[in-house]
Amino acid sequence: MAESPEEVAVLVQRVVKDLNNAFKRNPHIDEIGLIHCPEARYNRSPIVLVENKLGVESWCVKLLLPYVHNKLLLYRQRKQWLNKDELIDITCTLLLLNPDFTTAWNVRKELILSGTLSPVKDLHLGKLALTKFPKSPETWIHRRWVLQQLIQENSLPTLVTKGNLGTVPVERIQRLVQEEMEVCCEAAGRYPSNYNAWSHRIWILQHLGKLDVKILLDELSSTKHWVSMHVSDHSGFHYRQFLIKSLIGRTVTNNSILVQNQLVNEPIPSLPKGEKNEASEAACTEELRVDLPNLLKEELELCTDLIDTFPGHETLWCHRRHVFYLQHHLNNKLPLPNVQLTSVDSSDGTLNNSHPSTAVSHVTHAMDVDGLNDSSKQGYTQETKRLKRAPIQDSLGLEMEYRLIDNILATCRDVEQARFATEYRKWLVTFLGQ
Amino acid sequence: MKSCQHESGGISASIGHDLTFYIPLVLSRFLPYVVDVIKLWTTYKACKKKMDHLPETNGGTPQKDVVIKPDAPSTLFLEKHADYIASYGAKKDDYEYCMSEYLRMSGVYWGLTVMDLMGQLQRMTKEEILAFIKSCQHECGGISASIGHDPHLLYTLSAVQILTLYDSLHVVDVNKIVDYVKSLQKEDGSFAGDKWGEIDTRFSFCAAATLALLGKLDVVDVEKAVEFVLSCMNFDGGFGCRPGSESHAGQIYCCTGFLAITGQLHQINADLLGWWLCERQLPSGGLNGRPEKVDPFHTLFGIAGLSLLGDEQIKPVSPVFCMPEDILQRINVQPELVS
Repeated sequence: MAESPEEVAVLVQRVVKDLNNAFKRNPHIDEIGLIHCPEARYNRSPIVLVENKLGVESWCVKLLLPYVHNKLLLYRQRKQWLNKDELIDITCTLLLLNPDFTTAWNVRKELILSGTLSPVKDLHLGKLALTKFPKSPETWIHRRWVLQQLIQENSLPTLVTKGNLGTVPVERIQRLVQEEMEVCCEAAGRYPSNYNAWSHRIWILQHLGKLDVKILLDELSSTKHWVSMHVSDHSGFHYRQFLIKSLIGRTVTNNSILVQNQLVNEPIPSLPKGEKNEASEAACTEELRVDLPNLLKEELELCTDLIDTFPGHETLWCHRRHVFYLQHHLNNKLPLPNVQLTSVDSSDGTLNNSHPSTAVSHVTHAMDVDGLNDSSKQGYTQETKRLKRAPIQDSLGLEMEYRLIDNILATCRDVEQARFATEYRKWLVTFLGQ
Repeated sequence: MKSCQHESGGISASIGHDLTFYIPLVLSRFLPYVVDVIKLWTTYKACKKKMDHLPETNGGTPQKDVVIKPDAPSTLFLEKHADYIASYGAKKDDYEYCMSEYLRMSGVYWGLTVMDLMGQLQRMTKEEILAFIKSCQHECGGISASIGHDPHLLYTLSAVQILTLYDSLHVVDVNKIVDYVKSLQKEDGSFAGDKWGEIDTRFSFCAAATLALLGKLDVVDVEKAVEFVLSCMNFDGGFGCRPGSESHAGQIYCCTGFLAITGQLHQINADLLGWWLCERQLPSGGLNGRPEKVDPFHTLFGIAGLSLLGDEQIKPVSPVFCMPEDILQRINVQPELVS
C-alpha cells in the first residue's frame, strides 16, 4: 500500500507515541521483539504489549526507522529542533530498532550530562536492546560509559577502599556488579561465543569489581554450570581463564603469609570451593585464602570430564591448553606475562624467577620496547625463547598430560577429537616440552 | 572463497562460516609462515577435491564447518562483484541503507578499495564522494560515518584511506585531523574511539594508520601506545580489545597492523601467534575468526584475501593497511613485514 509522505509522518508519529506510552504503562518491560506481520491490519497499532513483552509488527519498521532516523539527523545538523522529551522518545525508538546507531546513544549521553535523563534509564534501555541484539557493540560501549558516570557522579568508592566510607555506596556497587553479571549472562545465552558480552563482563570485574577476590571466586563458581552446558562457547571458557589468571595475580600481590606458603607448597587449609555462604564467612577480602594449586587441579578435572563427555570440541582443548599452561608456570615458578594486577607494587618489569616470593612476577605495563630503547632485551619474545631453552623442572605434569592424550587417542572414535588431541600434544611439545 | 559468491555478486556468510580476511592478512605479515599462506592457497584451489575427503562427523558432534557443493563456482565473478558495489549507493530511502548509515564511511572505503583492487575504480563517482567526505568533517577535526552523525576515529581512518586512494587529502583540514587523533590518546598510551572515551586496540590501529598515511605518526607518544598494545597480548600470542580480553582475529589484525606501522613487529611471538592463526583453518579450506566460531563475511576482505594469496586477477594489497599496494607506494608508506 503506497503512502504519501504526510501519511507516513502521521503514522510514524502515532507509532512513536504508542511505543513510549507502552513504556510508561509498563515500566517492567523486559524483552523486545519483532512480530512477523507483513501487512497492517485495520486500525490497530503495530505496538503490542503482552505481559512484560513488547512487540513491534514488522510492517511498520520499514517506514518507522528511516523516518525517525532522518529526523534525529536533522536535529543533529541543527536543521530541526526537538525538545528534550521528543529527543528521549525518538532516540528510544531508534535504539530499539537499531542499537548500533552510535549518534543516537551520544544524544542520550548529552541528555544524561545535562541532568535531563537518568543514567539508570539507559541501563534499562540497553538491557532491552540486548534482548534482541545481544552482540550490539555500541550498546555495550554506551553501557560502560553510563556505568562510569554512575561511579563518578556519586563519588562511589571502589570495593577495595577500606573503612571510612559508608557501607551504602559499596552495596550499590555490588548490586551494579551483580546486575551486570546477569545482563552479560543473558546476552551470552542469546548468541554463541558472544565476544562483546563476555569482554564487558571482564571489564566490569576490572573497573567496578576491582578484581576483588571474593567476586572472582563467586564468578568461578557461578559460571561452572553454564560453561558445562555450552561447551563450544570459547568466550565463556576464556572468562574462566581470566578469573583464574586474576586470582593468581591477586593472590601473589597480597603480602600475607599464606602467599609464601603457597609458593613453597606447604599444606594450607583449603577454601571451600564455590560455596557462597562459606566464602563470605571466610573473613574479609585480604585474608581470603585462595588455594591456587587445588583450584587449577579442579579446573583441569572439569576440563577432562567435559572432553570425555563431549568429544570433538576445540574449545575444550583450548581451555585445557590455557589452564595447563597456568598450572605449569605456577608449579615451576615461571613468570606469567601480562597477568593483570590491581596494585602495581611488583611491576618492576624484570622477569626474575629465582626467588620464591617473586616467583610469579608480573609484567604489566612496564614492558621495554626494544626498537625504541635500543639495548634492553626484555620483550615478551625474548622471555618466551628463554623459557623454551630452560631445563624442565616439572616433567611430571607434562608426563601426565601426554599420558592423558595417549589414552584419548587410543580409545576415542571421533575423528575431530583425535585431531585436537594430536594438536594439543604438538603444542605442548613445541612450547612447553623439550 | 569462490564458493561463497552470490548471484548478486556479493560474498556472504551463506556457506556457514567466514573466510576472515584478517587471517591471510596477518599471516602474510609473517614471511616465514608463507608456507601456511600457500597451504591456504592450495587448499582453496583444490577445494573440490577436498570436499570428497571431508571427515565424517560421527558421535553427534557437528563440526562448525561447511561442505562445498559440487556445483559451487570455481572461478571468480569479478564483474558481478563490481556491479554489486557500484549499485550499492543508489538506495537512499531504503530501510537497509538507513540501518547501516552509522558506518557508511567504512562501507565506502570497503567498496572503493575492492573496486580498485579489481581495477574498476572508475565506475564510482569520485566528486560526489569527495564532497560527502568534506561535509563529514567536524569542528573538532574528526570525521563522521555520514552527514549529521558524530565524529569517530573509525570513520576518520576510513575517510583518510579513501582520500589517499583518490589522492585528494586537500578536501579536508588535515591538521585538524591530526589534532583530533592526538587528543584521543590516554595516559597509558591507549586511544579512545571518540570524545566519550571507549578504549579498544582497534582504535590504536586507527590512530596509527591515520597518522602514518598523513606522515604524522610522531605527534603521538608512540612508545606508550606500543606499551599499551603489548599489554593486550595474550598467552596464546594473540590480542584482544583490552588487557585481559580474549584473542580475536579482528583485534589481532589491528594489533599486528599497529605494530607493523610502529616498527615493532619483532615484539610479537611469531611462533605462538602463527600457530593460533593456522588453527583458524578448517578442513574445508576456509577460516574462522576464533575457535569454533562462525563469522560473517565481507566482500572486500574476501577479495583482499585472494590478493594476498596471489590471485592474478586482483591487484596486490597491503596486508597492513588493507589498501592497494600501488597507492601506498605512491605516498611512500610501506612498513616492514616480519622477515
